[in-house]
Amino acid sequence: MRRIIIRRLVQIIPLIFAVIVMNFVLIHLAPGSLFDVMTSEQQITDPKMLDQLRHTYGVDQPVSVQLAKYIWSVMRLDLGYSYRQNAPVFDVIMQQLPATLILMLAAIGIALLVGVTAGVLASIKVNTIWDNLISLGAVFFFAAPSFWLGIMMTVMFAVKLGWFPVGGMRTIGVDESAFGAVLDVMHHLVLPATALGLFYAATFARVMRASMLEVARLDFVRTARAKGLSGGRVVLAHVMRNAMLPIVTLLGLQLGTMLGGSVVIEAVFSWPGIGSLLFDSVMSRNFPMVLGVLVLGSLLVAVCNATVDLLYLRLDPRIKAR
Amino acid sequence: MLTLFFDFARRFARNRAALVGLFLVLVVVGVAIAAPWWFPRNPLRIVGRPEIWPFMSPRYPLGTDSLGRDIAAMIAHGARTTLLIGLCASLTATIIGITVGATAAYVGGWVDELLMRLTELFQTIPNLIFVLTIVSILGQKIEYVTIAVGVVTWTPIARLTRAEFMSLRDREFVQACRAMGMGSLWIMFGEILPNALPPVIVLSSLVVAGAVLFESAVAFLGLGDPNVTSWGQLIGDGRTLIRSSWYICAVPGLAIMLTVLALNLVGDGLNDALNPKLRDR
Repeated sequence: MRRIIIRRLVQIIPLIFAVIVMNFVLIHLAPGSLFDVMTSEQQITDPKMLDQLRHTYGVDQPVSVQLAKYIWSVMRLDLGYSYRQNAPVFDVIMQQLPATLILMLAAIGIALLVGVTAGVLASIKVNTIWDNLISLGAVFFFAAPSFWLGIMMTVMFAVKLGWFPVGGMRTIGVDESAFGAVLDVMHHLVLPATALGLFYAATFARVMRASMLEVARLDFVRTARAKGLSGGRVVLAHVMRNAMLPIVTLLGLQLGTMLGGSVVIEAVFSWPGIGSLLFDSVMSRNFPMVLGVLVLGSLLVAVCNATVDLLYLRLDPRIKAR
Repeated sequence: MLTLFFDFARRFARNRAALVGLFLVLVVVGVAIAAPWWFPRNPLRIVGRPEIWPFMSPRYPLGTDSLGRDIAAMIAHGARTTLLIGLCASLTATIIGITVGATAAYVGGWVDELLMRLTELFQTIPNLIFVLTIVSILGQKIEYVTIAVGVVTWTPIARLTRAEFMSLRDREFVQACRAMGMGSLWIMFGEILPNALPPVIVLSSLVVAGAVLFESAVAFLGLGDPNVTSWGQLIGDGRTLIRSSWYICAVPGLAIMLTVLALNLVGDGLNDALNPKLRDR
């Protein structure tokens, strides 16, 4: 088992390497280099000073040397220095990452709970009004932009009804116990996580329904019924367990999209995660930060994908580890 | 040819939801085409009092936004942007996807390995983050948004094309073509591709819906082309006023949702019509 884990993790390395190289190409595609942005923002015009800065930042060296240096520094997790936050890019991102992870995990949880429940319900009551209602709901949430859903939910539940806060992650100026703080964050989390999760819930519901119907026709289900198991037990323990496999695959495939989606949701709910950070950095043309988020985001998705693959091995013993 | 088309139309029409979707898509296309005649002046022009609610004034049926711009005019002109970006981005993605998938499957060997690694790379990069990076680096132009969206959505098309090519490349008709001395390129794109195309078309039509959602997110964040009207941008502008005038966000959002919904339904209908084998599953 350990060998498989290590092999799967080793596969990530060329991927990240490629992301780094692509990053480098993107920087050099930019009209007006990073250096120009930086010096113009600091209003440095003295030619001598500019030459000296060029030397300090290594811009005067040939491109190949710069690329090698860039790769080497990213390998050591040195993603550059953010002159706006006045801190290393890596530290700033790590500081904001937990908030995004909480948001994503909550959204995945909601998506799985809602999607799987709806899919199972629709498949049990196939071709009834329930099935049609669930399918209709899935079609709608599949088409609604998540940021719009977020805004509409804010209007409804935060502005009109006042049940949830409009944005942010913590109530400002309230000093609470650890338990109170957790409750506070959860209270703030409900709207953004639902807005982000409902799109995926819609996909999961559709796939789960199809997959349940597919599995329910297989021989082992008939066997389970024949040996006298109750209907509920057959559905929950036998059909559902096997029908979950496509959901796991789908989840792994959509992690990247979800990280992207959280950027928009964080902007809507001013959630202090890497999405907000990326948004601010894009707006202020803070390229080291933008590229740092891109590299670390890709790394995060790659690691999550590997985890999903390994999870798959555990869930389905038929897939032999090769 | 004509009977083939009728056959296709009959199978498409059997899916009622797809007909509704087609109708909605045609309405959006109609609005997009009619926009310059319907609202000949610049839609970003200020026309009246700000924050008039929909259905309150006969001159501005959908109301006005925070600056007093006509929402109906912006929706109509925004339909052009949305459809244009959606179609062009899907076309870009389809061209990249077919080229990569077809080459990988037909050539095989290390080329296949390399191209599939590349596909994996683009699947790993969080797509919206990549789009925002490209737009922020290259500039906020409608062309760059289109290309960026195309560049992040081609991977499923490449995988599907590869799978289709894999199953077709060793068939007798391909061997016959080789025996006749046809060039590889001609076999790939002239002989195999037409046979592999139906499922790819279905996927491309779904990519249009995805591209519309991407474009709206980019415009919503304020990173779209500032000189072009767009539905996402309208939502982004109206966001600050949700306490008093939430309709400014609601109207364009509904437009996006209905368009994406319609495109998805048409995609499902195309799937039924072009892949009759799959329908009865």
